[in-house]
Amino acid sequence: MYIQQIVEIFYMGLVVTYIIFIISFMYITSRRSSGRIVADGGEVHKGMDKAEKTWLLVLITIAIIGNTVLLSPLVPSANMAIWSGSKPVKSVVITIEDYEFKLPEKPIRLQAGVPVEFIVYSNDVTYGFGVFREDGTLVFQMQVVPGYENKIVWVFDEPGVYTIRSTEYSGPEHPMMVVYNAIVVEGGE
Amino acid sequence: MGPREKLALRYVLTAVFWLGVAGIEGMLMRLRLINLLTDIYVPEHFYSMMTVHPYVGIYGWAYMAVMGAFYYLVPKVLNKELYSERVADISYWVMTIGVLVTWLSGFLFGFAALYTLYWPLPIERFPPVSVLVFSIGTIMIFSSVLMFFFNMFATIFLPSRGAGGPGFVAKELLTLAFNLDKIKAVGRGIKNYLPKVYSYPVFIVGVFRGCVDTTLNALTMAAISVLLGIYSIAGLLNLPLPTSLVDPLIYKNVFWWGLDLIADGNVLIFTAATWYFLVPVLVGRKLYGEQVVRTVILADLVLSLFVWNHHMLADTPQPLILQIQGQIFTWGELITMGLTMFSVLMTIWLARPVKYSTPLKFLLFSILGYAIGGSAGIIQANYALNRYLHNTQWVIGIHGHVQLLAGLSMTIFAVIYAVAPMITGKELDSKLADLHLVFFFAGALVMGLSMGFAGVEGMLRRTIYFNGEYFGYMVGAAIGGALMAIGFLIFLYNFIRTYSFKAVLIAFKK
Repeated sequence: MYIQQIVEIFYMGLVVTYIIFIISFMYITSRRSSGRIVADGGEVHKGMDKAEKTWLLVLITIAIIGNTVLLSPLVPSANMAIWSGSKPVKSVVITIEDYEFKLPEKPIRLQAGVPVEFIVYSNDVTYGFGVFREDGTLVFQMQVVPGYENKIVWVFDEPGVYTIRSTEYSGPEHPMMVVYNAIVVEGGE
Repeated sequence: MGPREKLALRYVLTAVFWLGVAGIEGMLMRLRLINLLTDIYVPEHFYSMMTVHPYVGIYGWAYMAVMGAFYYLVPKVLNKELYSERVADISYWVMTIGVLVTWLSGFLFGFAALYTLYWPLPIERFPPVSVLVFSIGTIMIFSSVLMFFFNMFATIFLPSRGAGGPGFVAKELLTLAFNLDKIKAVGRGIKNYLPKVYSYPVFIVGVFRGCVDTTLNALTMAAISVLLGIYSIAGLLNLPLPTSLVDPLIYKNVFWWGLDLIADGNVLIFTAATWYFLVPVLVGRKLYGEQVVRTVILADLVLSLFVWNHHMLADTPQPLILQIQGQIFTWGELITMGLTMFSVLMTIWLARPVKYSTPLKFLLFSILGYAIGGSAGIIQANYALNRYLHNTQWVIGIHGHVQLLAGLSMTIFAVIYAVAPMITGKELDSKLADLHLVFFFAGALVMGLSMGFAGVEGMLRRTIYFNGEYFGYMVGAAIGGALMAIGFLIFLYNFIRTYSFKAVLIAFKK
């Protein structure tokens, strides 16, 4: 299962929880309260009350856990950009100009499990550089800003044939910026 | 109906018109994405429409509705006169014509650089005349927005007409927006100092703090429009300026810094302010944690100045430290929005049993919309996950459209259902309003989720696919759009049935 599909399942869990919560909240609050004494009678607080402090603590905890997990090596893209420090074994230099990818070879032949550095230049406007699996899912991407060296190190973890597509709009011919079978990843170490 | 009521109604009616236009555009683009209309709807036209769609939706619909509502509510809450009805009137026309001219820049002149306007795309790929028309249209839009803020600040801060000038207003604004008096008092060792901001209702605090963000947004975007205007005029005079005069990465940073402020100012802070105003009125109870939410709005304002990097997580020349800073600060918005929702929900909870009026139902579903759309935003704003989600349909579907349609628009409808009876003395039919809510909210959710799931499967935003890829998801999104259209039509029918065309037209008469 790809990382974005795990995200999708997690997210759908959130959506269902939110919907159930709001409908239950509406039902409960439209009924007469059970007679329990309500803590807040409508007076103005000077600071946070206990419930607010608890909720703030919950939110801060979620933010800390979220950032810690998502910046950790558990996520492949974070691992490759921040933690692994592995030196690329191969560099692939690509130039884009007038809606066209200029590849060093076609297909670009790579090995699975080996760090590869993609260096992409634009000679005119901003483009995107995205690598897609045969089923259309996205492996990774970056923006290609003109006048800058745009580079990313990636380790393909499975052999296969990959498509390159521009992930950024660059004018009306943008949808045609796709190179099928652009990368062939073989074997593995 | 007084002049202020007419003004508010005129703004809101025009906003509703633009929502209809944005909806038609959205449906046409959706049909193209399911490979219909392919002969008549070429990519050039598709992208022209996609360029103006957010301007029509954000400035035509959301801004004009907010302007109309605040022109009515701010003086009412402060029990003061609006500083200048004349400026409000001029601002209405400048905005209406500005949105129209921007729309024409795409429809007649083929401008199609999309709202992102990344340098040097507009200059490199589109005729100078189209860039000039777009530039004029957007300068008008941002001028109107600035006139509105001027009017808001003057109404809020001037003790009376003629007392104090721009300097006084600016000083008051800075002091109150950022609690500078409190900082000064702490510096002087004064204990238990209550900042001046506490003398204003929390709704007004939200309005002027939100206006700080949106003023900076309008100034930045207007500067970019002026830059495009200069280049287009030079192009028309056959004296083209070199695009290398502007650095694309610095431009992109400035652009996103300015543009993102609209998300915080208009979408988050104005919404929070509106909830803080409406919920106590609707449930007849003081806002829970009123003192705390003022600080929350301040935190939101400060955070909003430092979150633009979450738009640049896929830009590898951008320093990594800035990208991680952008991610962490964006999570801060989860905390501020979480506290806002908590305050609103606790207010309702403590007021139970609550009779759910139409505006309150819309408001509660708006909270749901924000929770759903906001969570998607937090997910995509992470450095690592952005590598898989950036520029996919996830961003614009689940985050963008759910936040704007199921979140912001539901709040705007809540205000319309609450304020229209105040202005006209007549209630809209509640059963039709329920149908409007169900269709519109469900439609927004179905559309947003269908787009988002297509994004998870690799479908890019801003991309036409020619071989039937992601067809099922786009059909799902089209069904969602159709549900929203039904909801919108029910709303229109309810409005016209209650107030009649003739009564509505009064808003346009002097």
